[in-house]
Amino acid sequence: MDLLLSNLAHGFGVAMSFDNLLFALLGALIGTAIGVLPGIGPVATISLLLPITFGQPATTAIIMLAGIYYGAQYGGSTTAILLNLPGEVSSVVTTLEGYKMARNGRAGAALTIAAVGSFFAGSVSTLLVAASGPLLTEVALSFCPADYFSLMLLGLIISAVLAQGSVVKSVAMVVLGVALGLVGTDVQTGQQRFTFGVPELSDGLNFAAMAMGVFGIAEIILNLEKPEVRSVLTAKVGSLFLTKHEWARATPAVLRGTVVGSVLGILPGGGASLASFGSYMMERKMSKGRAEFGNGAIEGVAGPEAANNAAAQTSFIPLLTLGIPSNAVMALMVGALIIQGIQPGPRMVETQPDLFWGLICSMWIGNLMLLVINLPLIGMWVKLLQVPYKYMYPAILTFCAIGVYSINNNVFDVYSTVFFGVLGYVFNKLKMEPAPLLVGFVLGPMMEEHLRRAMLLSRGDPTVFIERPISGVLLAICALALGLMLLPGLRKKKEAAMAG
Amino acid sequence: MKINAKDLASGIFLLVLAGLGLWLNLDHTLGTSRRMGPGYMPMLVFWIEFALGAIVLGMALFSSPDPLEKWLKLDFVTLAAAIVVGLVGYQVIAAIPALEGNWYPLGIALTIALLILAISPGWRVLGLVLAGMNIFGVLLDAGGLFLAIAAMVVIAAFADKEHRPLGVAACVVFLIALCWWVFIYELDIRVNIWPTF
Repeated sequence: MDLLLSNLAHGFGVAMSFDNLLFALLGALIGTAIGVLPGIGPVATISLLLPITFGQPATTAIIMLAGIYYGAQYGGSTTAILLNLPGEVSSVVTTLEGYKMARNGRAGAALTIAAVGSFFAGSVSTLLVAASGPLLTEVALSFCPADYFSLMLLGLIISAVLAQGSVVKSVAMVVLGVALGLVGTDVQTGQQRFTFGVPELSDGLNFAAMAMGVFGIAEIILNLEKPEVRSVLTAKVGSLFLTKHEWARATPAVLRGTVVGSVLGILPGGGASLASFGSYMMERKMSKGRAEFGNGAIEGVAGPEAANNAAAQTSFIPLLTLGIPSNAVMALMVGALIIQGIQPGPRMVETQPDLFWGLICSMWIGNLMLLVINLPLIGMWVKLLQVPYKYMYPAILTFCAIGVYSINNNVFDVYSTVFFGVLGYVFNKLKMEPAPLLVGFVLGPMMEEHLRRAMLLSRGDPTVFIERPISGVLLAICALALGLMLLPGLRKKKEAAMAG
Repeated sequence: MKINAKDLASGIFLLVLAGLGLWLNLDHTLGTSRRMGPGYMPMLVFWIEFALGAIVLGMALFSSPDPLEKWLKLDFVTLAAAIVVGLVGYQVIAAIPALEGNWYPLGIALTIALLILAISPGWRVLGLVLAGMNIFGVLLDAGGLFLAIAAMVVIAAFADKEHRPLGVAACVVFLIALCWWVFIYELDIRVNIWPTF
């Protein structure tokens, strides 16, 4: 406990430096803005800003990128409540009860409980990250290559199983990601693989170009293809204060949401949107006000909003302790770390204490900032919605183009982004979920290395993956997860849940 | 029989890609399972991909129908024309000594192909947005950052029919100012600002 406190004190020292505070604020503000705006999400934004972070110290860069992710959870709820317009996938369920509350004249109360609930959940889950980090790290240090391989396999499979749409196609996307990760120089023999003699490819495909193309550019094209429907009619915000009765109903929902969100956030493949949905289902079944659901029940706002923010924080746990990204946003974080020369993994707590503890503390500070800046600024955020998309997309495009060029000062990366833009467009048209692709791409090279090492150690005997207890259990969970999805009943339930 | 066209296309896409990967992988030594060569992991990955593609293809025949968007005749024509012009154009431009290096043949050929693609309404948005980005790459070195941004924004602006000339001009000025501030003043990236023809 003393150690935890001294570590946290160290972290606050790092997080309170002027630069880190500034970039936490900047990240939180950008996050809120893109959370408010439909049509651009955290994945696209973070990939867009990746090149800008190169010049910064690693800690500052990650603090800003993290701010974008949890800031987006705050911002998404504002438009969901006021305009019935989810800015993010994770706030889709907030529209169900939140907009009804706004129509009943309780928009202010809904916004307040969303912000306060998010802050509470964020604080608790940040502590959870701080406490579990060193613990899990110790476990992870006893892992051998075979265990690592199985763990990564589990991460890949779960991220595919929990993705939207068909499981087989999602698994195929993961494998495709791993395949794209093969491009470049083979680490052990130095042989060029799938580079077609292009020197720019010998370091592998450019991660930022891929993320920007598949998410940023493809999203622009898809948004422009469908006509814009954006209402500017805003519900009156009304009083921001909750009545005693509302507090009494919302508090248990926030507590439940925090627990659900924290757990679902840690799961590989989990994340904010899964958490908010899980919490909504739970509130609809369990809360005292369940009879009011559909007519503006405050539990339906408090629970999911707490849950999505809790999950946004705890999804950092597998990344910071095991080096395994649990969703596409975390895959981008891995990309940002690797570009900074830091290999994410269990040794990060020891070798990068500034980064680890600084990030945790800045998450809490960032949540506090969001609470303070969000409620008074709601009017400004809503105004942001009046910026038409036709002025937004040239800006996104420009930032993509310059950003991706500035990584290597090479126009080849600009053309790669165009290529991945086409690919992302095709994926969307064929209903192939691109998020697992990114996770596969990041984990692929690491998996290959661990596979080779494990097989070398076992003298070519593949049974090592089953015989090692840790690895065996992980593989069993993989098989279980895939097997469960073959049951038609469960698959239908998942489809219903994902359809929202 | 009801066929899920989207799954069918996905399955074919995966199978072709896996086949291509396996074929390209013939160049790499496999090694043994104990000492894996550079070709071992690709072999595993592409065989798995092949199997998954086959499963997706098989499922497409038995799942609920999900048709692809309708393609006009013009969409097919421009796609074919874009591919042909792009490939031929690349060879032609690559033979011009003045345009050697800096990926000029690739960039110019791609831009022309995308602009041809944009003729048909189905590909209009895709073609124009991506052509804009390509122009940026082509112009950046010789034309400088400001010209490249202006050209990109103007071409991409055609993708949205609601754009008016004045709005686009304001957009260009604003973005040039913003990019100068962020990328030149703050981040100091190494790039030409003004044309150096």
